[in-house]
Amino acid sequence: MKLKKCSKHAFNMVLHSKLRSWLTITGIVIGVAAVIAIVSIGDGMQQTLNAQLNTLGGDIVTISPGAERGGGMFGMRGGGGGGGSSGPQATTKEIVLGRSDLQALKGLSDIALIDTNIRGSVNISYFGKTGKVSVTGVDQKVWSQITTSTIQTGRTLDSADQNVIVIGGNLASSYFDQPIGINKMVTINSAAFRVVGILDDQTTSVYMPIQMAYQVIPDKTTDIYDTLVVKIKDQNQLDASISNIQDKLMISRHVTQNKMDFSVTSRKEMQQARAATMNSMSTFLLAIAAVSLIVGSIGIANTMFTSVLEKTKEIGIMKAIGARNQDILLIFLFNAAFIGLVGGILGIILGTMLSGFMPALMGGLPMARGTAIVTLNSITMALSVSVSVGILAGIIPAYQASKLKPVDALRYE
Amino acid sequence: MMETIMELQDVWKIYRMGEVEVPALKGISVKIKKGDFVAIIGASGSGKSTMMNLIGCLDIPSRGNIYLKSQDISSLGESDLASFRGRTIGFIFQQYNLIQSMSAFENVMLPLEFLEYNDQKAATRTREILTLVGLGDKMHHRPTQLSGGQQQRVSIARSLVSDPEIILADEPTGALDSVTGREVLDMLRRLWEEQGKTIIMVTHDLNLAKYAHTRIELKDGEILKISENNEVNKK
Repeated sequence: MKLKKCSKHAFNMVLHSKLRSWLTITGIVIGVAAVIAIVSIGDGMQQTLNAQLNTLGGDIVTISPGAERGGGMFGMRGGGGGGGSSGPQATTKEIVLGRSDLQALKGLSDIALIDTNIRGSVNISYFGKTGKVSVTGVDQKVWSQITTSTIQTGRTLDSADQNVIVIGGNLASSYFDQPIGINKMVTINSAAFRVVGILDDQTTSVYMPIQMAYQVIPDKTTDIYDTLVVKIKDQNQLDASISNIQDKLMISRHVTQNKMDFSVTSRKEMQQARAATMNSMSTFLLAIAAVSLIVGSIGIANTMFTSVLEKTKEIGIMKAIGARNQDILLIFLFNAAFIGLVGGILGIILGTMLSGFMPALMGGLPMARGTAIVTLNSITMALSVSVSVGILAGIIPAYQASKLKPVDALRYE
Repeated sequence: MMETIMELQDVWKIYRMGEVEVPALKGISVKIKKGDFVAIIGASGSGKSTMMNLIGCLDIPSRGNIYLKSQDISSLGESDLASFRGRTIGFIFQQYNLIQSMSAFENVMLPLEFLEYNDQKAATRTREILTLVGLGDKMHHRPTQLSGGQQQRVSIARSLVSDPEIILADEPTGALDSVTGREVLDMLRRLWEEQGKTIIMVTHDLNLAKYAHTRIELKDGEILKISENNEVNKK
């Protein structure tokens, strides 16, 4: 029998056992929908990350005190804040970054700009209301060229600025009862600051000239930095530049590779670490979705076995009137593949709808922010998987059907 | 002298029931001539159904040989045997054995699909045959929408559609009333007389056997008697 005819008979079989076929198809729909939704969210997050990776300064390197990679974001100063520290060099207890490190880095040809940062938590007051926010003191001469934040309104910090700040979008719009506008005055730890710029983001961050930050953030010592943010000249030479920075700092800080008391992290590395975490999360979720697909395939096998039993007599009739073993095999395999295919198509539709809602549902998870993307790749994958699952599940029942002896099959009631 | 279309040589069919071997056919030897109308008759348990399965190439003998058009059927693989069967033998079953989910037209066309006929030719042939059996106006009815007699006529049409040389009918009137049964037998007779088909009819009913030219009587798995009814001749 020609393939076209086999598929026609198989399709008729699906149509004539409507309820059972649809129940089986439902199993596959759920499996495929879950896979599509999860893959699309994964793809969406990946694309968001890639976009961040491309725009958020792949040429930016952060140097922090302490050996922990990526640590020391808010300073890792031991010994009660180091208020009594007399100089930039590490004492026996304190590990800090200081002016000598800055000077050492300035001698490196790889580096285009260096921003010195300190961070701390401060009280902020506006129209009688008070809150607690994070303040970053930056070198206002270079900050605008290094930062990846963009200004929504107003301007960035200027080299002549003193008591001025740039604030995050959220702090400006909704942190206080009244929105903070440009040129409004806020009080930070008893000092008055004028807002000159509002960032295009959803944070409550405050940026101010580092000299002012030393005055308002408690327990900070002049010329001791929490982080040094470096913009390197050639992004393609990132690894070599990181290595040069490390070498230079090891010499200036008199430490060896094994006892390195600082860490040099690139944005790229941070994003990659994030991507890796996200990947393992996606894989885990995908594994769960795959389980439902396996359950679906067992459903197909079950339906096919029942169908072979139910159609034993028909198989006998077909064989008596000239059906070869391969004709019967193909009819049953096509039947299973159809169930897989219909399940796959409906699953893709449901999965696509689900993936539209998922980012909203997972809104609490910062990694899930972004759009879910259903790619042609995942559609092709889902369809081929669902059809293959159908065929695989159908192989044994179809083989069993094809091997039935016509005389036994005809006798079956 | 008429040529032999089928020959059974010392054919045994033995079924195994656990430890016990039960012979259903015991060394049957018979030649069936091309263009003959043969009735295989016998009481229940005489082995006639087993013999029909073997003649219809639905089963192979435990011992002995069956030659269909000089071809030893035991030497053919399952698929070759299926195609050979499809081309050479048309089956008419007692319970019609139509596929319920298919229309009369689809049921009749099915053997041609297995034989990979061209779609258009198959459809034309199917229409011709259904018209021939008087179901030209009921082609798209499903078996459940047809009477017993009509279903048996669909079954006859299906057996004829691939123009086989042998029509093998297993109790063809067993499920029909006497009037419809007679119509079916007349139809078989016309196929024998007008189209020169070899008709092999298996029945327990001696009255039906009267329609046949040659009678093979079975008892306990052996041939009791082969006789020719000279009153039944082609006109």
